[in-house]
Amino acid sequence: MNFPLLLLILTLTPSTKERVRVRIINWRKMDRQKLTVIGGGPGGYAAAFFAADLGMEVTLINNEKNPGGVCLYRGCIPSKALLHVAKLINETEEAKNWGLEFSKPKINLDKLREWKNKVIEKQTGGLGILSKQRKINYIQGTASFLNSSTLKVEKAGGGSEELKFVKAIIATGSVIATIPFLNIESKRVLNSTTALDLPEIPKSLLVIGGGYIGLELGSVYNALGTKVSVVEMMPGLLPGADRDLVAFLSRRVAQKFEKIMVNSKVLSIKEVKDGISVNIQDGEGNVTEQTYDYVLMSIGRRPETRGLGLENTKVKTNGRGWIAVNEQMKTDDDNIYAIGDIVGEPMLAHKASHEGRVAVEAILGHKVAFEPRAIPAVVFTDPEIAWAGLTEIKAREQNIKVDIAKFPWAASGRATTLDRSDGVTKLIIEPETQRILGVGICGPGAGELIAEGTLAIEMGANATDLKLTIHPHPTLSETVMEAAEVFFGQSTHVYRPKK
Amino acid sequence: MAIEFKLPELGENIESADVLTVLVSPGDRIQKEQGVIEIETDKATIEVPSAVTGTIKEVLIKAGDKVKVGQAIITVEESGGKKEDMSKEQKSSAAKSEISVEAKLEKKPLPKEPEKKQGGATVEMKMPELGENIDSADVLNVLVKAGDVIEKNQGILEIETDKATIEVPSAYRGKVVEVLVNAGAKAAVGQPIIKIELSEEEEAEAEPVKKEITEIEEKPPEHGMESVEQEIPRGVRESILPGEKDSQPPITKGAAPAAPSVRRIARELGVDVNKVHGTGPAGRISMDDVKNYVKKLNEERSQRPAATVKQEPLPDFAKFGAIEKRPMSSIRSKTAEHLSYAWTSVPHVTQHDKADISELEKMRKAFNPKVEKAGGKLTVTAILLKIIASALKVFPQFNASIDMEKKEIIYKNYFNIGIAVDTEHGLIVPVIKEVDKKNLFELSVEMNTIAEKARIRKISLEELQGGCFTITNLGGIGGTYFTPIINSPEVAILGVSRSLYEPVFIDGKFEPRLTLPLSLSYDHRIIDGADAARFLRWVCEALEQPMKILIEG
Repeated sequence: MNFPLLLLILTLTPSTKERVRVRIINWRKMDRQKLTVIGGGPGGYAAAFFAADLGMEVTLINNEKNPGGVCLYRGCIPSKALLHVAKLINETEEAKNWGLEFSKPKINLDKLREWKNKVIEKQTGGLGILSKQRKINYIQGTASFLNSSTLKVEKAGGGSEELKFVKAIIATGSVIATIPFLNIESKRVLNSTTALDLPEIPKSLLVIGGGYIGLELGSVYNALGTKVSVVEMMPGLLPGADRDLVAFLSRRVAQKFEKIMVNSKVLSIKEVKDGISVNIQDGEGNVTEQTYDYVLMSIGRRPETRGLGLENTKVKTNGRGWIAVNEQMKTDDDNIYAIGDIVGEPMLAHKASHEGRVAVEAILGHKVAFEPRAIPAVVFTDPEIAWAGLTEIKAREQNIKVDIAKFPWAASGRATTLDRSDGVTKLIIEPETQRILGVGICGPGAGELIAEGTLAIEMGANATDLKLTIHPHPTLSETVMEAAEVFFGQSTHVYRPKK
Repeated sequence: MAIEFKLPELGENIESADVLTVLVSPGDRIQKEQGVIEIETDKATIEVPSAVTGTIKEVLIKAGDKVKVGQAIITVEESGGKKEDMSKEQKSSAAKSEISVEAKLEKKPLPKEPEKKQGGATVEMKMPELGENIDSADVLNVLVKAGDVIEKNQGILEIETDKATIEVPSAYRGKVVEVLVNAGAKAAVGQPIIKIELSEEEEAEAEPVKKEITEIEEKPPEHGMESVEQEIPRGVRESILPGEKDSQPPITKGAAPAAPSVRRIARELGVDVNKVHGTGPAGRISMDDVKNYVKKLNEERSQRPAATVKQEPLPDFAKFGAIEKRPMSSIRSKTAEHLSYAWTSVPHVTQHDKADISELEKMRKAFNPKVEKAGGKLTVTAILLKIIASALKVFPQFNASIDMEKKEIIYKNYFNIGIAVDTEHGLIVPVIKEVDKKNLFELSVEMNTIAEKARIRKISLEELQGGCFTITNLGGIGGTYFTPIINSPEVAILGVSRSLYEPVFIDGKFEPRLTLPLSLSYDHRIIDGADAARFLRWVCEALEQPMKILIEG
């Protein structure tokens, strides 16, 4: 409280004094209710919007014209648009088995790109409007900390300003990880961003890294007509996911793609005439040289804290460069919170949004914590793979005793009508309480189905709950119910001889 | 390289202390064990010795400050073998070490850096921060033992806080030298848990990912096969793929089957959902379960008798005459709290008896010169120490404590006896350890030193802890009987008054005998009146006939 104000209060009549005090309290409260969010991805904008909905005065600093982040501009959304097209192309081919023959599609790449860009514009533009409607102070630019209460904002339109903040949330996400010596300057070496720009339809493409980004983008190019090869250092694709789920994908990819090289690594790449020459060493140590039209580097993403000026604050990062936070998403600096990719795995949009909402409530003094029981992960390949909660691999690693119940999609009527019996739904169950600890699904639409599994885990549901819940027929969702029936040895569509 | 010297652990349940005097200033050379500051805790005044040798760069606190355990007190430019080695290393590859130092500093989320011990790469790993408002945890299991070679992040302890069961990962890689906590014990945040001899790589090692990236960037883009081998680190790859280790939240360990809305309510009500008894199938916790749990907690709380009696308002004494107000010293306020607690929570009974010490007095006088030569004084208290240690063996319920919550009696198989010492700063009870294993010479000498230490406020907290029984001797001042208050959680205290000559009727006539009045206050919850009478009688008889100790004690 400043001095003249104090004098003023002392000279007022009791009733006005009371009113002034109330106003001062409100003013202080207002101060507490100011929030600055740095980064406008699915974490940052969800936090900013939620804070505005709760009555906070929000500033959102983001490097793009509109909120959206990697997810909307260069990640989840554009890749899903292209994967939708890929799926359509594949289905027209498969249709010949059902008595429907289409001629080979004519692909107008410019139009396809334009459509994808429209999807992005529609989504991000929508977010821009939502931001305005919430009266969020949106600043296009980048920010770095000068101290624990001041930011320096470099505006996209030029110029910079110092900005005071009361509480800030860092949501600046991650960047594409590279192996520098393989990162040669060439338009034929793509990363996940440039690959989404569809420069052309290459004759051949080598995907370095058999993780979800490489497989999703590889699938897109494969459908468009490119001969796609994948090189992966680990013994299998999608390391970390349960093998029985990945098996269906591996089988299909092996048919569709040119070559899958596991246990193999890239030793060097160089640009040659009309392509990229790559040296690959297999598990036995044999080195082969092969030339590809294009190469896609997709070894993952990593946090990027450089340039944020964290050294001017009390924020600490841990080993891998991720910002250390507590379960309220607060960093070691009381004024600064951090959410999303920059605080660690899993680097998923939906995790970031939830963390963002927790951070906002924590700032407002609500008793909250980021304590999910499961975070669903989805790989949007064909077939899709999705899981939530405990995986079989992790149960084994941690010596957790579990029962596994699997329902093969070959026994699903709906899957058969789609001519897609290459799928499985499995439940990971605590033997004593029969509680659902994890759910894993492989098959078309697994990404949609996993939501029920996640809810089951969060609600502490047991196998009986899933078994007794009526699922609509004929749908793929029945596989979740029937997997629970398998657990009791009573599945209608799977016969298991009694032990 | 300057290091920070932090306020070390002071003892159980002591988290901070007031700085009385700062004994050093910047520029001073300081030796290990040399006093740095003098602090006053609730229990005593302590000189904090330095754990490092070197030149003081900066003093970070001043007299009058309150310092917390783990808070930096001074920064010291360290000297000594190991550090010099390190600086050599640093010179040999300046840039690299810089990375390694930086990485080391930010390596772990522990806010408290371990203090470097001199002369070897042994560090103490402390209990890391466990979360907001958690300052200690119960150790369930110790997962390593001395001699084990452990990896960084390998689990060392399994602990249980009121929020969850957690595995504490090692912040270092190396060999376990010593495990400083036991299963079943309570460990406070910041308390040293293990001593680790660092493996050599740990000392020089930069944080792996960072180092690799940096190194890679320094390499020319085109590269031969040999280094490529190391260049694609599997660890890095793995860590950036989805579905790896950290990608799913833990589910089985301590995760109660409760819906998100129920967990949110529990958090808002300040309840650990894992402690709520679920009435649903397989223990699933409903909204009502949480509410009932809170209700039950509240009821229990209101039924429990208030620990302190409500303070009656004081009259305005100044109305009746001149007064002076002085703040209570921390020893005084702690004494007041402790004794009020003991008085209100322990049902006291005091048993009086009288011992004929005429013969004992003769012996005491005969042996005293020898003891004085050894630097002690053979006093009745010293003799009583020995007798009480024997009596505790004969009457184990006097060497016990009560855990009312668990409905348990804890019997102690050690014999540490406290002696109440009256000092100008207040009442202090230093504890003589393992009385049963020491002879009267040793006890007399130890009593002398410890009483002196107490008087000049140089006593360590360790010397004030671990008592089983207390003796308070007011004989030097006078009086016959009094009713001492038990030094809870002990269950009995012996009050000694002034010995005096009395006419005792022996063999048909009165004889002047030297008698010693004794008062035994005991905790009636665990000790019955008859046992107390027997105990005190046994003590009296032992004073009269010391052979009793040799035969029975």
